Amino acid sequence: MLNKIDGLVRTVGFAACAGLVGLSAASAYEGGAVTGGGTIKGMVKFAGAAPEQATLEVNKDKEVCAVGEKKSKELVVGADGGIKYAVVSLTNITKGKAFNGNAILDQKGCEYLPHVVIVPKGSELEIKNSDGILHNIHTYSEKNKPVNRAQPKFKKVIKEKFTEGEMVKVTCDVHGWMTGWLAVAEHPYYAVTDETGTFQLTDVPAGEYEIKVWQEKLGESTQKVTVPAGGEAAVTFELAAK
Amino acid sequence: MSKADEEKKSYAAVFLLAVALLLATGVWVVWDDQISRRPWKQHQFEFSRTQIDRAEAEVAAEQKRLEESEEYQKVVADLDAARGEIAAGEVGRQLSELDGRENSARVAYDEAEFALRMKKSEIEEAWYEVEHAQLTHHDVEGPKKHLAQLEKERAEIEQSVSDALAKLNQILSEKEEIGSVVATLEKKKQGFESDLERLHQKVEGLVIPVGPFNFPKIPKIEQVVLEEFDRNAYNQPVARVDRCTSCHTAINKDGFEEEPHPYRTHPNRKLFLGTHAAEKLGCTPCHQGQGAAVNSAEVAHGRVKYWLDPMYKGHEVQASCIGCHANVRLEGADKIALGERLFEQVGCVGCHLVDGYGEIPKVGPYLRRISAKVDADWLVRWVKQPHEFRPRTKMPNFYFDQAEAEAVAGYILSASEKESAAWLDSHDTPVGVDTNDAALVARGEELANSLGCRGCHGFEAGESPALLGDAKDVAPNLSNVAEKTNARWMYHWLKDPRGFSPDARMPSLRLSEDEARALVSYLLTLGTKPGDDSATRAKLLSADNVAQGEALVRKYGCAGCHDIPGMETESRIGVELSVFGSKPLEELFFGNRTDIPLTWRDWTFNKINEPRIYETDRIEQVMPHFGLSETDIDAILVFLASRQEAKVPETYRPASLEREKTLVAGRRVIERYNCVGCHVIGGQGGAILARYEENPTLGPPILNGEGAKVQANWLFGFLKQPVPLRPWLQVRMPTFGLSDDETATLVRYFAAEDRISHPFVHVDQARLSPEFVAAGELLASADYLSCWTCHQQGDKKPEGPQEGWAPDLAMARDRLNPDWIVEWIKDPQALMPGTRMPSFYDFSDDARDGPEDVLSTDLEQVQALRDYLLSLHGPGSATMAADEAEEPAAAPPGDESSGEPSNDAAAAGDVDAAAAPVEG
Repeated sequence: MLNKIDGLVRTVGFAACAGLVGLSAASAYEGGAVTGGGTIKGMVKFAGAAPEQATLEVNKDKEVCAVGEKKSKELVVGADGGIKYAVVSLTNITKGKAFNGNAILDQKGCEYLPHVVIVPKGSELEIKNSDGILHNIHTYSEKNKPVNRAQPKFKKVIKEKFTEGEMVKVTCDVHGWMTGWLAVAEHPYYAVTDETGTFQLTDVPAGEYEIKVWQEKLGESTQKVTVPAGGEAAVTFELAAK
Repeated sequence: MSKADEEKKSYAAVFLLAVALLLATGVWVVWDDQISRRPWKQHQFEFSRTQIDRAEAEVAAEQKRLEESEEYQKVVADLDAARGEIAAGEVGRQLSELDGRENSARVAYDEAEFALRMKKSEIEEAWYEVEHAQLTHHDVEGPKKHLAQLEKERAEIEQSVSDALAKLNQILSEKEEIGSVVATLEKKKQGFESDLERLHQKVEGLVIPVGPFNFPKIPKIEQVVLEEFDRNAYNQPVARVDRCTSCHTAINKDGFEEEPHPYRTHPNRKLFLGTHAAEKLGCTPCHQGQGAAVNSAEVAHGRVKYWLDPMYKGHEVQASCIGCHANVRLEGADKIALGERLFEQVGCVGCHLVDGYGEIPKVGPYLRRISAKVDADWLVRWVKQPHEFRPRTKMPNFYFDQAEAEAVAGYILSASEKESAAWLDSHDTPVGVDTNDAALVARGEELANSLGCRGCHGFEAGESPALLGDAKDVAPNLSNVAEKTNARWMYHWLKDPRGFSPDARMPSLRLSEDEARALVSYLLTLGTKPGDDSATRAKLLSADNVAQGEALVRKYGCAGCHDIPGMETESRIGVELSVFGSKPLEELFFGNRTDIPLTWRDWTFNKINEPRIYETDRIEQVMPHFGLSETDIDAILVFLASRQEAKVPETYRPASLEREKTLVAGRRVIERYNCVGCHVIGGQGGAILARYEENPTLGPPILNGEGAKVQANWLFGFLKQPVPLRPWLQVRMPTFGLSDDETATLVRYFAAEDRISHPFVHVDQARLSPEFVAAGELLASADYLSCWTCHQQGDKKPEGPQEGWAPDLAMARDRLNPDWIVEWIKDPQALMPGTRMPSFYDFSDDARDGPEDVLSTDLEQVQALRDYLLSLHGPGSATMAADEAEEPAAAPPGDESSGEPSNDAAAAGDVDAAAAPVEG
């Protein structure tokens, strides 16, 4: 029976096989040393004319929050059409470089810094309150238990753990304009695009992968990418307004 | 034949035959009595066999597991080796030598011990000699010397006893040491075998072992006796005997879900047998049937002629729930709950009396001023076929022809003419209503969307926010409302529904004149405005027509559902249905229908589905057609089946019956006014919240847990006269004009829902600890938990837009239950999942979350916050009621909003939860 399944998988081909492995390994990533890994470099572009960032109205705690003009970061498009704050990740990798590290989310000037933060699954996210006024961390998620914790002045740092990989929205009910995102990562191959819309994933074991981009306004898109041993693969995503 | 011949004749063959017959009869009697008429025995044998087979398979599996366990095998091998060593090896030799030494040591010890006892006797004797010599004045010295000598000897013997004992103990400990290896291994082995042992015992419990064979136990009747459950023909209480489990052997055992009947586990054992002690109640109180019968399944299930209560099939069994429970809004009782609700609310009670349902208010509108409200042409159309104008109206179709419809309309207009005229005199045509003013119409539409109208009414054809069953609107669909009425009525109705109809279910939204004008302008665009009806009116009001109409209104019992002038003394025209479920087939009139199966169920279903179906040339029927779905009719059948002559004795009804009655009374008020159109109450309702998914904070508050949250006296005042608690809400808690009785019923309902026995609270501010109040004030400040960043306190408003605010904490003292405040601050998410109120503390661990320089524990801080809130005295807090409820799924706030800005500012009090944002 096992042989039969094995044979079947072989005939169906690598893609399906990778898909199956990806499914079964969704919760089991194995980290270690990678030799001869390649790099994925790429860019996430906006299809169409760059929209203008809306200005956010700061109507509360102005002495702390109204530092400069506040712009919405839900869709930030750079000069060449590159989208900032898009999250790029491999969807079906089960083995690769070591997976560790901790993330920090700061609340400063009544904004989340950074706007999108990658949080390794199971690690403790350090949430800082640099403002010295009351904030609350209110998350909206499907797989992780929602959190709504207050962080008053005297609580400089609180910690929170996220155990399931998904995109988690964070808001502050005290300051309605504050929105941020946590990309709870299943493995180390996650990246957030910079202001030019570019990203880079390093030390990727050679092979064929599915790569996904997520953007809070524009949704998701995936494509295939083949990483050569020791070489570089280029990926370009183009996302259009929904 | 001669006598001699007679004597010689042999009757052996006849005797043999007779004996054989007798024997055969004997065998047949035993067989018939013990086997063929005892099918339950066979069932029990079968089930026994299944159980034994399973248990034996488990034993075998466990044995196999042990055999395959290397650890276990090693222990067994080690044990065997150790025992072998003892039996034959060097250790064995040592042991037998020790045994020999133990024996001689024991003998030595026993002897020494015996010698000691003898010596003690001698000493007793010597003491006697000494004392005797003293008393008789003889020489004492001699005996004393002898005594001393004996004592000396005793000391020597005692020494030898203890030496012997030490030697013996030495030998025993040596033996134990040798045996300890074995003992340890044995213990270990037993540990491995504990499951096996348990399984063996299980098998032993199931069988009668005879030699090497295991026989199933001898079957016996299993029965539950329900003392005084039934009543006999003389109305004397008699016991009911319920023997169902004699065949249904596995009904209350887990693990037989896949077996065929009667060896199957109850399909919902945990719910039904977990909450209803099957060993005391048996099966028939719910399932009916002939519980005492065991000779055949058909008989036991009551499927025989003349047995009045055949076993219920499928969901029919829910008819039994209401025999014991007052409240059937229970898990597993959905059909009976729906059936009861339909029966109460569709209007069945208008014509049919049923015990316990006689006091339900009339379901139809008030017709005493109807002439001022409706267009005459529309009225005729409506009476003729209401489902054409509103497919989901509760008003049924009476199959009137045109002439009859005109007659009924004529009577109604005529009878209401006088009161209508008086009402019109005091209610002028509003100025400023204009369906051509696009801005005004748009404003009206916006108000209809935001005030909460859509909690009850649909505005597009087919739209229904609140459905009764599958097919009935709770409140009228307004998509074509302009066709039936006029601006004048609409305006005054919206402003003050009870000013038109004293028992209106429609509440007042406290509309300003501008708002009312806008709403009326909008509503008048829904449907075609009727033309002039004065000609029709004049025709309908002709004396003949009115007289004919009066007869029809009386005949069809219109007054069962409507308040109609001149019909105040009419009684219900339908048959009483209090014991309809017990009605025998002979009493059901099938007319000329031969196509309908002769069962209670078929008769009743068809009667509701097609009410005139049994009409004949001689027998007229008047029941109207409601247009219910088959599922709804089915639910009503379950309710009707529950109307039984036999009543369950009080002792068998649930202990929580009083609470259930309170819940039922509250539910009736809640459903009458459709509170659940906007609010989630007891986990149900809140249809309008679907419109606020993006920002639940702006929807009406969820009222789960309201009874534990607010004080009864506050809630009473709020329900009587709502005031805005959450000024940021567009949706507005209306004023229902509830009677004191209705209001008290609701307050009791909320308390019962949360099992609060004493919902009243008195806070004595003088008794609050000054230390805690001061600490709470400090905690609430911006340096600590910053409660005032979001919460309002009387006139002190938070910064920022209103939708970011949280309720007025100055109202806490009058509104909130102090215990609830503590629970709320401890974990807001637990009480109101999704609330915007964040957790400041985490009591799931011992770590300190609050500031360390205030008081000594987190709990004390929470209590200090409570005391501080209770010490606040907001402006008007005593008179303002506050909101109620809980926050909507995502946010803290509240209840109603007031619509007018002026209102907001003045009333500003909102409050909600009291919990200040505290933090941790």
